[in-house]
Amino acid sequence: MALCGVADTGSHSMDKSITLPPDEIFRNLENAKRFAIDIGGSLTKLAYYSTVQHKVAKVRSFDHSAKVSLQETDGDPLYEISVQEEITARLHFIKFENAYIETCLDFIKDHLVNTETKVIKATGGGAHKFKDLIEKKLKLKVDKEDEMTCLIKGCNFVLKNIPHEAFVYAKHADSEFRFQHTHPDIFPYLLINIGSGVSIVKVEAEDKFERIGGSSIGGGTFWGLGALLTKTKRFDELLQLASKGQHTNVDMLVKDIYGGAYGSLGLTGDLIASSFGKSATTDKEFSKEDMAKSLLHMISNDIGQLACLYAKLHNLTRVYFGGFFIRGHPVTMHTITYSINFFTKGEVQALFLRHEGYLGAIGAFLKGAEEDNPNQYSWGENYAGSSGLMSVSPELNPIQRARSGTFDMLEMDRLERQLVNLPLLQDATSYIPDTVDLTEDALAREYWLYCFEEALDGVVKRAIASQKDQPEAVERAEKFRQKYRHKLQTLRHQPLLSRRRMTWP
Amino acid sequence: MALCGVADTGSHSMDKSITLPPDEIFRNLENAKRFAIDIGGSLTKLAYYSTVQHKVAKVRSFDHSAKETDGDPLYEISVQEEITARLHFIKFENAYIETCLDFIKDHLVNTETKVIKATGGGAHKFKDLIEKKLKLKVDKEDEMTCLIKGCNFVLKNIPHEAFVYAKHADSEFRFQHTHPDIFPYLLINIGSGVSIVKVEAEDKFERIGGSSIGGGTFWGLGALLTKTKRFDELLQLASKGQHTNVDMLVKDIYGGAYGSLGLTGDLIASSFGKSATTDKEFSKEDMAKSLLHMISNDIGQLACLYAKLHNLTRVYFGGFFIRGHPVTMHTITYSINFFTKGEVQALFLRHEGYLGAIGAFLKGAEEDNPNQYSWGENYAGSSGLMSVSPELNPIQRARSGTFDMLEMDRLERQLVNLPLLQDATSYIPDTVDLTEDALAREYWLYCFEEALDGVVKRAIASQKDQPEAVERAEKFRQKYRHKLQTLRHQPFAYGSLTVRSLLDTREHCLNEFNFPDPYSKIKQKENDMALKYYLKVVKSVEELSWEQRQFNLVKGLLAGNVFDWGAKAVSDVLESDPEFGFEQAKQQLQERPWLVDAYNQWIERLKGPPHKCALFFVDNSGIDIILGVFPFIRELLIRGTEVVLASNSGPALNDVTNSELQILTERIAAMDPVIHAALKEDRLALVQNGSSSPCLDLRKLMLCEVPLRLDKVLATVVRERGTDLVIIEGMGRAIHTNYYAMLSCESLKLAVIKNSWLADRLGGKIFSVVFKYEVPSKAQGQH
Repeated sequence: MALCGVADTGSHSMDKSITLPPDEIFRNLENAKRFAIDIGGSLTKLAYYSTVQHKVAKVRSFDHSAKVSLQETDGDPLYEISVQEEITARLHFIKFENAYIETCLDFIKDHLVNTETKVIKATGGGAHKFKDLIEKKLKLKVDKEDEMTCLIKGCNFVLKNIPHEAFVYAKHADSEFRFQHTHPDIFPYLLINIGSGVSIVKVEAEDKFERIGGSSIGGGTFWGLGALLTKTKRFDELLQLASKGQHTNVDMLVKDIYGGAYGSLGLTGDLIASSFGKSATTDKEFSKEDMAKSLLHMISNDIGQLACLYAKLHNLTRVYFGGFFIRGHPVTMHTITYSINFFTKGEVQALFLRHEGYLGAIGAFLKGAEEDNPNQYSWGENYAGSSGLMSVSPELNPIQRARSGTFDMLEMDRLERQLVNLPLLQDATSYIPDTVDLTEDALAREYWLYCFEEALDGVVKRAIASQKDQPEAVERAEKFRQKYRHKLQTLRHQPLLSRRRMTWP
Repeated sequence: MALCGVADTGSHSMDKSITLPPDEIFRNLENAKRFAIDIGGSLTKLAYYSTVQHKVAKVRSFDHSAKETDGDPLYEISVQEEITARLHFIKFENAYIETCLDFIKDHLVNTETKVIKATGGGAHKFKDLIEKKLKLKVDKEDEMTCLIKGCNFVLKNIPHEAFVYAKHADSEFRFQHTHPDIFPYLLINIGSGVSIVKVEAEDKFERIGGSSIGGGTFWGLGALLTKTKRFDELLQLASKGQHTNVDMLVKDIYGGAYGSLGLTGDLIASSFGKSATTDKEFSKEDMAKSLLHMISNDIGQLACLYAKLHNLTRVYFGGFFIRGHPVTMHTITYSINFFTKGEVQALFLRHEGYLGAIGAFLKGAEEDNPNQYSWGENYAGSSGLMSVSPELNPIQRARSGTFDMLEMDRLERQLVNLPLLQDATSYIPDTVDLTEDALAREYWLYCFEEALDGVVKRAIASQKDQPEAVERAEKFRQKYRHKLQTLRHQPFAYGSLTVRSLLDTREHCLNEFNFPDPYSKIKQKENDMALKYYLKVVKSVEELSWEQRQFNLVKGLLAGNVFDWGAKAVSDVLESDPEFGFEQAKQQLQERPWLVDAYNQWIERLKGPPHKCALFFVDNSGIDIILGVFPFIRELLIRGTEVVLASNSGPALNDVTNSELQILTERIAAMDPVIHAALKEDRLALVQNGSSSPCLDLRKLMLCEVPLRLDKVLATVVRERGTDLVIIEGMGRAIHTNYYAMLSCESLKLAVIKNSWLADRLGGKIFSVVFKYEVPSKAQGQH
């Protein structure tokens, strides 16, 4: 896959002159309009709207009315098949490291044909910093949008439009991710955004949200204190250290004070009584790993407790976590989940979002597209054009993981029809179309992946046969084979963390 | 003060062979029983119960029935020994524990005691040492239970126990007035970690939450970041640091405030956020400050959320992270204010460090039922709250590391509030809070220091027959002067500083050195003298017309009140001019209109139907009671009003005590048939007010001491007789206290201002008259 090539180039040198493969990223740029950009501390998320021309097969009945005879002519087919061009709307979202921003802007400028667009919506902390560069390169006016408003708008959009957007993380379960079934009414919910600090936002309706709390103990604190304690300056490395450490070497546990549990207060012996409590009075050296782990626990537990208290105080049960502290990091997802379980005794579940990194960009895009009223349409994820959720177990698939640093994509197609549920369903909210969930049923998953791979040759053959009149069909069919096989391989290699709920056909 | 000597020794070397000054710490050890010990991470708190023998002055009437001899004094004064119960609490560094145990073993005479109650993390560690040294069995008690028990006890028994901390305010500490109902409350104990405990009743509490980010985290992370291993030093570093160098503020991200979210630019967005991406070195001070903010804010937010969730507004903070550290009290207070927008106040406790020891002691003393008694802080034996501003008093502060004491006296009476108070919960006895009024504080501290020589002289004179009285008086002078000096630097040492507490502290110190009643002889002489004029005064008043008589009686009451040895201006005149007589005093009084003058309303009232019963809180002995009060109440009795005279249970200055008043009343009754008849028919009654203070606290403080509250009998008498008039006389009772007290019946508050500074402050001159007659706004249904 070409995308992997880009990743390799990118990791060999941070040179900005990397060549971007145009048929993989920034697709359909010619017709792009309504740009939006969300520039975070390290990643840039670009969004645009475009139209896609593609072929659709149409069938048309012959006119049989004239010669109604007792004998049907055997040689005539029942109806006529024709292929037509159709134009549909598609949303593109691309995520890449800030280091590539200039290359990307150049690329966009070179490929942008449509000149209607005059403005680019921008949000995120870096929007200010890169404003001049964007305006110079793209000749678009940068229009800043409120960060939190964009975040919430984006969150509402993915929760409404992407099935299985939210998931529960369970480190030791059969399937690491347990996707939540979309609930028609997404409100109210609590969004805990863990960036440098923590923002706790209560969302009650499409345009009604309030920052009800927050904390200065967030991702920046883990990073900052971690850097001071371990001399490790990279966030990812700090998490790596933490995943190898033993917090009990640094933390004072209940049993360190009382020799065991403090039963009358309901405190187990292994409970952390005091984070870093042992380093207060012990003179020994502590390992970087242990300190990083202790720090991670301290921060995750604290955020977990605050989240629970705010959820209880506002009577909310749906709590979503986002921000760079969480984003794609199994270690932090695990500690946050653990903390929430501990403090609410299971009453509240920590929920994470597959496209959490895109929320700001989606929201900024939606702000710019308000006149198009994107909320009136139904949108669906295009599986061919989207990268999918990253593997979060580094040991499982190290090559795949390298990609996270470079380009990641989400594409959504607009469906022209408003879709509603069958009124005869007994209970629409609990209705699950799929009979077997392959993410949770390993045996079934193995069988079906094998089955689909086996069937691939036949599908390719049939595809070519369907377009005998077009000689390049062979080449296109081959591309299809490669792409679908790659998708199947991805799903096989990341059995516990497929990018989405895997189901039967 | 010897205690300071100990502190010096202690700070020069941590040698365990320090000599403990036995008359200063571990007092009354001979009779000690019921020991309890709370051993924390660095400090040990010891509690024991003991009995104290001290002298009390008693008066006894001679048998006058046979002959009236002019040369004989009216009554006999004798000094007797009395035994009262006292609780002792001592706090010292763990380093001294062995020395202290040895000392206790050597001085412990009583051998009844077999057990010592122990709590705290260190109880286990020192168990063997304690059992070996003291030959007492160590009986461990649950730490949290002890903590809560102790907390309930101090909140109930010590007035002004809780305070609000305000770093930049005029007074660093703002003490809370004791609320009769202390439950429910939230206790946030910040030790190594944080425990959040909801207390709903005496024996009902629950740990509703907690956090691992506590004092141990500040200490542990602080040590790792700054290589500074001492907690105090870390706080010192923090107090000098700039957190904005390390923390990422909202303005660092957004260039200013994030207005739409209501976040100001200076708000910390991310603690240590700058050290994530900046490569520079950070100073120890800045990192320590950032850490302190991070932890305090976090605890503050958790406290607020739990308070809201459980609908609690009283939130007390304790634990070593807080204890006596202005820096953490400030950051916690700031955080609570920020998160609750002022709805919840962070409260701290003066004796927070003793809670565990008090609780353990109470567990051991349950069979004695200590909760049934009233207890009060003994100002003479307690160290008082430390100065928390290190720059203010560095020498004082050194003491905190060594020995700190709290002593509480048991009061034999149950005290209740005056049933006639309009609103007992909002009643505040003291008119001026000297902790908040710096000018007034300065004046009164000066005033009490000036008066000290006179008090010492009088104390010696009262015990001429005892040669060592001079030495004791000198000790008293030193102790009280030291207290005054402490209060000058730390006005908050014993809660809210008031004229009342200054007077009470002096009484406690006098008692401490066995001067139970320095004014006894003077009172005796004055009473003798005044009695001779009684009939003459009564006769002269009787000759007047009704209107003139009423005015004359009021003037007599006021003139009598000029005779007050407690007020320096008067004692000067009295000592230089013994001829200063009653008539002269009347002439000295301010002409009407008085400074506060409700005389016309009073006269109008007297033209109406008589009162059913008048309760009169009397003031001085001698001319005041005999020539002022008695003729006045005589008129009330004639009008058909019953009279209850309430006087002090114990001596204070020249105030007439209940036992003195009984003798005086008998003598007057012998001369005056009106009084005689009233006594006989029980229309005139004498009751004690339960106090030994020149001031008066009309409040109910359940089971509380500080000998200021009303005797139970008084409350019953008031209710039974349908009292509809309360008269409060004198500067101490009607001006320093109760000036603003709202009663549910008619009241007269009268006094002559015998202090030029106070007169000036009230907008008058010395000898200005306050005659305040108040009728409650709505009709009172007393019957």
